[in-house]
Amino acid sequence: MSAPPVSRAAPMSRRGFLRTASGIIGLSVLGLPGRGQGADVGVPAPLGPVPGVAAQRIEGLAKVTGEKVYARDFRARDMAGWPDHQWHALFLRARTTQEAFLGLDLSSLPSGATPTRVVLGSDLEPGFFDAPVEFRRDLHIDALLSARAEEQRKTAKVGSFNLPDGLSFDLLVRPGTTPNFLGQAVALLLFDSLATYRAARRFLAGDDGIVQRYGPGDGPDGTPLPEQPFDPRTLYVKDPDFDYAGTDAETYAREAPQVQARIREALDAATGLIRQPIRAEMRAMDPMFMEPEAGLAWIDPARKEMQLVLGTQSPDGDVRNIASMFGSKASPVRDLSQVTLHSCYPGGGFGGRDSSPFSLMLALAVAFAEGNPVRLAYDRFEQFRVGLKRHATVAQGTLYAHADMRLEAVRLNMVFDGGGRRNLSPYVASLGALCAGGSYRLPVADIHAEALHTENISGGSQRGFGGPQAYFAIETALDDLAAAQGWDPMALRRANLIAEGDTTVTGGPIEQSLNLSEMLDIAEAHPLWAERAAIRAGHEAEGRTYGTGLAMSLQAYGTSGDGMVAAVHLERDGTLTVQSDAVDMGNGSATTLGVTIGPILGANAARVEMGGYTLFAQTGLSDDSANHQRWSDPMWTQKGTGSSSACLTGLHQVNTVQQTAQALLRGSLLVGAAKLWGRGPLSADEVVWEAGALRPAGGGGAPLTLATLARAVHEMGLPTGALGHAYFQNVWAEADFDTPGGALHLQLDGLAYYRGSKTAPLPIPRRNGRYPAPETQRYSRYVWAPCVNVVGLTLDRASGRVQIENVLSVLNAGHIHVPEMVSGQSQGGVAMAIGYSLLEDMPPGMAGPADGRWNLNRYHVARAGDVPLGDRYVPGARAQELITIPQPEGSKRVGRGIAEAVMCSIPPAISNALRDATGVRFASLPITPEKILGELAP
Amino acid sequence: MTIRFSVNGVGFELPDSRGQDTLLDFLHEELNLTGTKLCCGIGVCRACTVQVVKPPSPAPVPTISCSTALATLDGTQVSTIESVARNGRPGPVQQAFLDGFAFQCGYCAPGFVMAARLFLSGLRAQPVPPDQLEAAMMDAIGSHICRCTGYVRYFDALRPLAEAVNAGEAIEL
Ligand code: FES
Ligand code: FES
Repeated sequence: MSAPPVSRAAPMSRRGFLRTASGIIGLSVLGLPGRGQGADVGVPAPLGPVPGVAAQRIEGLAKVTGEKVYARDFRARDMAGWPDHQWHALFLRARTTQEAFLGLDLSSLPSGATPTRVVLGSDLEPGFFDAPVEFRRDLHIDALLSARAEEQRKTAKVGSFNLPDGLSFDLLVRPGTTPNFLGQAVALLLFDSLATYRAARRFLAGDDGIVQRYGPGDGPDGTPLPEQPFDPRTLYVKDPDFDYAGTDAETYAREAPQVQARIREALDAATGLIRQPIRAEMRAMDPMFMEPEAGLAWIDPARKEMQLVLGTQSPDGDVRNIASMFGSKASPVRDLSQVTLHSCYPGGGFGGRDSSPFSLMLALAVAFAEGNPVRLAYDRFEQFRVGLKRHATVAQGTLYAHADMRLEAVRLNMVFDGGGRRNLSPYVASLGALCAGGSYRLPVADIHAEALHTENISGGSQRGFGGPQAYFAIETALDDLAAAQGWDPMALRRANLIAEGDTTVTGGPIEQSLNLSEMLDIAEAHPLWAERAAIRAGHEAEGRTYGTGLAMSLQAYGTSGDGMVAAVHLERDGTLTVQSDAVDMGNGSATTLGVTIGPILGANAARVEMGGYTLFAQTGLSDDSANHQRWSDPMWTQKGTGSSSACLTGLHQVNTVQQTAQALLRGSLLVGAAKLWGRGPLSADEVVWEAGALRPAGGGGAPLTLATLARAVHEMGLPTGALGHAYFQNVWAEADFDTPGGALHLQLDGLAYYRGSKTAPLPIPRRNGRYPAPETQRYSRYVWAPCVNVVGLTLDRASGRVQIENVLSVLNAGHIHVPEMVSGQSQGGVAMAIGYSLLEDMPPGMAGPADGRWNLNRYHVARAGDVPLGDRYVPGARAQELITIPQPEGSKRVGRGIAEAVMCSIPPAISNALRDATGVRFASLPITPEKILGELAP
Repeated sequence: MTIRFSVNGVGFELPDSRGQDTLLDFLHEELNLTGTKLCCGIGVCRACTVQVVKPPSPAPVPTISCSTALATLDGTQVSTIESVARNGRPGPVQQAFLDGFAFQCGYCAPGFVMAARLFLSGLRAQPVPPDQLEAAMMDAIGSHICRCTGYVRYFDALRPLAEAVNAGEAIEL
């Protein structure tokens, strides 16, 4: 096989640099080695000829034919310009947190399995960890952390491990100290041949402890201490006079404890309220994406450039963190001048590749590979052992209701097992706290959520981001409340639905139509719910136990402030290219962005390039938080780009691409068309696209194909591409931009036009900007993807085995760009939720995957037989039916979250169905046959 | 003694000492054929499925390459995902999966493609009563793991092809 051609050179850019302790390091993120993501893949127009409609996934052909698209597929020999000879890296992992790691004894390794090089924590200078490695996500929390860090900088002594929001613990445990968590790396072994590497792996498989020595020594280094929370915790207290959103940070921090005491006192004293205990616990879950993390790295000695080949959900954060660490004074790599990431399609992600420490481990390996390319490839055992997990969680509290079904208050304490590294855990806990309010109007709230540091495997961003745990707690409690009071569970929910104008538990207003009542109507009228008694009787007549469960969720998507960037180019040949900073991890972002320009520009994109890290720099904008002019500086924005997560695509990225496409149409193509037609200025509603050509809506001009228009704009010196930056924080930042087509009002805060070149557009300063009010950041979230789920299941009382017979999901998905992908996402969410609820069981500590012996023979994910495969409800057959709410006429063509929305309320619906079937509440996930048999034993 | 087998029509002869190496490693490291995927490495997920003809039986069988030692392949013909498309044109199973948006991240797709093709060729040789087709599909691809899709669209995409082949339609797989 021939090697793919060399990657495109890294475009230079201002944002593409990071100032580090030892100088300035350039940063680049490129597409797949040999091509951009989605670019030049497969047939010339893979998205198909119908504008706005996808015939297939843009990268589908490459994937289904087995081309190299995943990081795991690449070897040094595939990389143009790299040496062919490749080293292999293997990390040994801590097996206890009770004793100090003393070192290695490799004498038992068979000959032929000896590493070329062994690296221990003592080989790293402590200052190496001083670098500000950041796991940041959410502006309203980051603001708090920044204030606190500033405080610490003034007071704390500067040491190796006192970073409030950094990595917290060593990448390699220093000999003589106790590991911070199970699976923390204790040694790096490097092999210069595949044969030796394999021999060592075989020898160490199942127990790498045989070469590790433990004994008395120092305790664990770093903070927090075991069983202490990672910073910060979340507390939402809300009553009619006080809430998080309506109070500035300082006042809130000062007064919230008193308000909490006041709330507790009032609730304890209230005599007329019904009290419903909330109690739920959930095991950790492995995202079990199919491709175990793998990557390739090399330091080009001539250019002092570290190149990495990775499939990551956070390319931006990964390169910055690597540059930050290796740019520190104590870096094992001297004079690094450039970090370049070749971003591959992740073989699944679900959040598990978002801010994963894998990239840092790979960078650490290459630092010691003596100039050779090195490959780090986890096998499934390692992936289970160290890959980020959905947090195990315990939720406890009380729901307070009036006798007329109105909910008055929720009190809840949620403790997430953050495991070893901080990662994004506090952010997950924080969103969990918000979700704990469910889909309901709650006048009073007292919700606390924290992520504890424990010896367990690190938790991280996972599909739903704290939502699955919160909805499980609240929705099972509601069902228990209904059962205890003899209320209809549908009626109880209906009596409390949150709606536009109400506030969430942060006090932030709901400013989006949710259609919850209409969604409940659909569920209530559906035969799976309406005829549940008859269905049950039918099953019982045949000796089966059957139950029906209902649950709903109001999953938030986006964060408390999101910046996005996109470019749309009209090539000389009349084809269109879309570039975005988003990453496609299988959710179809590239495809969605490729078709969303179709109705605006008359054709789908021929190429979609994702992970465009340097695009932001090209906008000419800055997001420097020290800029006190802030929005009044026309080249300032609140946030450049954020971590690429699936749930941003539907609304945020799509709107950004659409607005940018509008800027290209109205600021250039219409100008060119008017000239060709010999007419005065044209507006967008004076033209239509028909059969791939633009013509005047009222007739009177020859149709212009995109190829003709492309020639014209290229020759007339008009913009050939547009680059847009958008910022969303409850509302879009909007502004006017002076373009060749006149002043355009766009939901963008930055616009630049390309003329021919694809890397150096000319920015246009915005005018008349309208910006989000700063205080809205404290709403925490603004946009929602509500879902109602009804589950019908059977239980085999002899084996304790549950079979999901039917699932009904009623989803408000917003505008649906690619219906096939929406249903696929939903079905994926259903399968994952079934696994989470019934199958996926992972004990903490060395009884679980931290022992390095876990694989799919012990950790069971859903297979085809576990999920209903029909897609339309038919009595007597198994199906999962998805009903999406039609969007009102005139609403924008943007979507909402999908898989995470559907999966959040399925686990409680399953538990509620089991309660309906058996009268027993199963409040601990997963609900295994053993637990069921234990509870049902006479 | 040597081990002789072919991969996608190209013959290989290896010393016995290589017998314990897995087929998957051989494909990846020696042939740079990385279309066949590793997920569990222990024979559970079937992402690494390839097709093997082992005489005297002429019928190809699905084989999990992560757990197949080269020593067991003497005299066999192995076909991988790289052999399925012809001149860049996807085979009918691949096309059906593309048209049906059957996969998402796609990491499991090569395994599903190989298993589905073998299922269809088996069906052609030995059709089943139409009311048993669904169960036959479940037998063929039901134990493959896919974490992204929930399986529904894989079954939906394969079903029309299976019905056509089962009904005797001549489809070049
Ligand atoms: S990789 Fe899972 S069966 Fe081979
Ligand atoms: S499509 Fe991702 S595992 Fe199947």
